[in-house]
Amino acid sequence: MMLTVLLLVTQVAVQDPRLERLDPETRSLVVSVVDSARAVGLPGEPLIQRALEGVTKGAQGPRIVAAVRRLATDLGTARSALGTRATTPELEAGVAALRAGAGPQVLTQLRDARRPPLTMALAVLADLVTSGVPVDSASAIVLAFAPTARDADLVEFRRAVERDISLGAPPGAAASVRALNTGIRGANDAAVPPGQPPRPPSRP
Amino acid sequence: MFERHDDIVDRVVQQLRQPVSIDPAVDDRVMAEIAADAATPRPRLARWTWLAAAAALGAILIARPWAGGTASPLNAFQFVLVAPQASSVALVGDFNDWDPARSPMRTAQGVWATTVPLAPGRYRYAFLVNGVEWRADPGAPAARDDEFGTPSSVITVGGNGS
Repeated sequence: MMLTVLLLVTQVAVQDPRLERLDPETRSLVVSVVDSARAVGLPGEPLIQRALEGVTKGAQGPRIVAAVRRLATDLGTARSALGTRATTPELEAGVAALRAGAGPQVLTQLRDARRPPLTMALAVLADLVTSGVPVDSASAIVLAFAPTARDADLVEFRRAVERDISLGAPPGAAASVRALNTGIRGANDAAVPPGQPPRPPSRP
Repeated sequence: MFERHDDIVDRVVQQLRQPVSIDPAVDDRVMAEIAADAATPRPRLARWTWLAAAAALGAILIARPWAGGTASPLNAFQFVLVAPQASSVALVGDFNDWDPARSPMRTAQGVWATTVPLAPGRYRYAFLVNGVEWRADPGAPAARDDEFGTPSSVITVGGNGS
């Protein structure tokens, strides 16, 4: 039974016409990574998209394969942190948060603190860190928001912080001040006054 | 209640006050009808009927039509790039297999735009200007993990309508 499923999965990857844009050697290696990922329950589509991104951007085969392998590894790490019920968008956002610098334990805390889907919360965490907000501050704020904030609240918070940063505010101070002034319950507990080290995230 | 004596009212009241007499045979007839009905054999439901009902119930529980289906809702998102000098701009990303032919952008006085329906998720994307130049979206978060040496942006579509 398992062998049949594995064969079917392999067939799907081999026959995916989108991968014909890759050269044969690269395609073979990418298909191998995709098959291995699917065999352990990881989504294959993000890996295919990463390979297609590479070929469209003119990257060399080894670079594409390395990127696909790295993504497969990170998807596995994200799933370990978020659990086997995590959806593909949640895993992708989890990978973004991990690569931004958030630890797997932050992902697990977020999973425990917030009802799914976690995609937006994870994405906002990654985007805040990418904007320059220290990862500890961003993690503490998002974890404090997690139990009650709507996705739209998180997006608005991120936009406000990015707006402040574009106007010249230091990223950490922008996030802290915005967190202090937001109406989202729990945000004040996580806000770190500018110039002080962030407090460790507290469980709700 | 009635201020003047009214013969009609009096007659109605008298009629209402008369005891109602029922034919003593009525009870016997009703009981005889009930007994006859109970004695009539009813057709028993065949076993397959119960099995069919159970199967239908199972199918409904599996399909869960009240759950609204499993298809992800699509929301239309507009992507815009201001590039007055460009002769062509294409939008490529995780949502169109990074295929420049899938989402060409139209221009109006140098403002290039296109609309793409997106399901909830996190997508990487970029603009391909004149077929050779990669540009990130200045109005969106940058993709931090750009492994191919060109800028990309990310868009996150929430799962609950945001």
